[in-house]
Amino acid sequence: MTVRRDLLVFAIGIGLAIATGWTAFPRALYVQREQPLEFHHKTHSEKSGLTQCDSCHALASDGEFGGIPRIETCAGCHAEKIGTSKSEATLVDGYIKLSREIPWLVYSRQPANVWFSHAIHTRRAGLACSDCHGTFGESDQPRIYEQNRISGYSRDIWGHSISRLRRARHDGMKMSDCEDCHHRHNVEVGCNGCHK
Amino acid sequence: MKVSRRDLLIGSAGATAGLLLTPVPWKLLGDVSIWTQNFPWIPQPVHGPVETKYSVCTLCDGGCGIRVRMAANCPVGVAGVSSHPLTKGALCPLAFAAHQLNWHPRRLREVRHAGRAASWAEAQAAFEKACVEGPIAIVDGRPGRAVSSVFEAFTRKHNGSYRVVLSAESQALAPYAAWSGVPVTSLGYDLENARTVVSFGAPVLDGWGTPGRFTRLWSERAAGAADPQLRLIQIEPSLSRTAARAWRWVPVREGSEAELAAGVARVLLEEHLVTPQGPMPQLSLAEAAAQAGLTTEAIRNLARTMVENRPVVVIAADGNPAIAALNVLLGAVAAPGGIVRKRRRVQSHIPADPVPGRLRAVLVDSTVPWEFAAPTDAEVFRFAAWDGGGNGAGWLLPAPGFLEELTDVPTSPTSALETYAVALNLAVPPTEVQSAAQFLLQIDPTLPTGEKVIHAHCEEIFRARQGTVYGEHPIAVTKLDSAQHLEEQLRKGAVWMGDPQSAGKFRCELKEWPMENCVSHASSWARAWAPPVFPPLATKLYQESNLREPPAGRQA
Repeated sequence: MTVRRDLLVFAIGIGLAIATGWTAFPRALYVQREQPLEFHHKTHSEKSGLTQCDSCHALASDGEFGGIPRIETCAGCHAEKIGTSKSEATLVDGYIKLSREIPWLVYSRQPANVWFSHAIHTRRAGLACSDCHGTFGESDQPRIYEQNRISGYSRDIWGHSISRLRRARHDGMKMSDCEDCHHRHNVEVGCNGCHK
Repeated sequence: MKVSRRDLLIGSAGATAGLLLTPVPWKLLGDVSIWTQNFPWIPQPVHGPVETKYSVCTLCDGGCGIRVRMAANCPVGVAGVSSHPLTKGALCPLAFAAHQLNWHPRRLREVRHAGRAASWAEAQAAFEKACVEGPIAIVDGRPGRAVSSVFEAFTRKHNGSYRVVLSAESQALAPYAAWSGVPVTSLGYDLENARTVVSFGAPVLDGWGTPGRFTRLWSERAAGAADPQLRLIQIEPSLSRTAARAWRWVPVREGSEAELAAGVARVLLEEHLVTPQGPMPQLSLAEAAAQAGLTTEAIRNLARTMVENRPVVVIAADGNPAIAALNVLLGAVAAPGGIVRKRRRVQSHIPADPVPGRLRAVLVDSTVPWEFAAPTDAEVFRFAAWDGGGNGAGWLLPAPGFLEELTDVPTSPTSALETYAVALNLAVPPTEVQSAAQFLLQIDPTLPTGEKVIHAHCEEIFRARQGTVYGEHPIAVTKLDSAQHLEEQLRKGAVWMGDPQSAGKFRCELKEWPMENCVSHASSWARAWAPPVFPPLATKLYQESNLREPPAGRQA
């Protein structure tokens, strides 16, 4: 009787740990943060005719990636308020008129010791932006930014599935994801290729 | 059902076992390891607008073109510049990681006197006192710069002497200067027109001269070819990086380079492979072979191979006159593809070794290799960006690091053509630093500033109306509107290069074969290596790939 009870208690312990580890832990690990402004990629592509990613996220002639557009780019259209939303007012009054950059929380920001060339991947390898960034460019509302409480990086780096199983192609931007893709395409760059 | 203490313990054991089946331990392990990379005291490049700036590398006097990736006005990456006329995008490994040097743990961050913290005011007062008591000397590692003019002006006004420490490349050209009377700074190697390069231990593919220049030539004309357009014959005791990539490697006994050169010269003359332009060495071929650890046939073959594909030029690792004499014998002096004269009017400098005795103080510029120790009892004021350790300087004065100072870059010692470039201060120093020129200008504000000298130099180039400015697009100086326009181009990272001219006429005469005074400066290359520390990435590359063995004590 004692042995059966012990086994039952042991199994309950295992069950509770598994349930907690797979459900509560991911929620506890990430803190949710809001972007400073609401930004709608879809609105910009449909109403403003900015249909290509590089309309705003441009590559310079030397291949340098511009990253998130600077406030002057936004000011090109939003020098005065367009619409009456709260975000529009914040954009114009809080950033454009003060020439302040918007402190966006970047979903795909990599550690400082990583060097990544967008030009090589999009121009030479022919990758589409969505291959790594998913359908983010078609979103009609900004996603919640989830930040890892320990490492400080975005959840997009690890990927949304905590087990990293059955992920979409663009889900996850860890070093192992880069290595897997390079391996699939038979491209070897060595350590110094990314960690310059 | 009552829950006992036993149940709690067994349940905890089960939970512990169960945790292993969840991502908790594995994810925590990964995240904590990433967290350790982001400790607050680890310097991180700030996030901000990314831009690219062009400049010239100032780590050595080679003057390779660099493209600097800046994030929030802080250099975060260095690469070569494909439009640079000499290097065409090639760089040495140290330059690729040079932006890390400013964050090196051995960066000098405060004035030190006799091992204790001091202030700039104290250092200035001490040097002013020394100037009054005199005499003083200023030692420069890269003569010809704008700040060199400041040094010279200061020593003229304060009854001092201006001395230079020549790089190993310049030392290798010293014998020609002695035989021809042409100053060392006026000589160079016309490598672009050479078809055979015979290097006696000079690491021509490993940071020699303008590091990117020969690397680029080798990659364009020799890499991977069984019968290359440019033959590199490396004569060296060990299989160095250069030897490993050379067309031929001739392993010789260490210190026997002069004897081998004499043996080769004897074969060249005996077999009439060259027009006799020098005396026959006294050393017999058998003696030379025995000294060098080679067979006489190997030396004969080497001599025949050298003249097979002309023009041929011999490069020594130091000022060994026997090796230099080979160029005279081969007719490679004052000839295309050999040793050429790049300019006519040039100032010759007095070497710092030996420094004259009875000096009150010696000011050593940060460009002087760390190993240089003034052989004098004078009070030493040593400027340096990084602490190389134990050189006994009385005063250690923190100097600007990589890209933290506006400076000009005159012609490299090995270049066959005149060049001039300006390196901007792209980075903000992390601590209070002063260059030696700024220090002297505070003591004597009447001296010309470095900026004024740069401006004057640009005006001089503009007035001469010759040469081309290589920036984004090459522009002939004759097409520029003004000297100011030229200076603007140079400040944007362009480099001015003089027009190619036929080898200037000068003669080297050998009365006897120079076997005496063959002093081998085994440490010359180490001395020429200005930064006393290596950035982490370069350290790994250098130490693990034997690109160049750092001298003992520098393996920081």
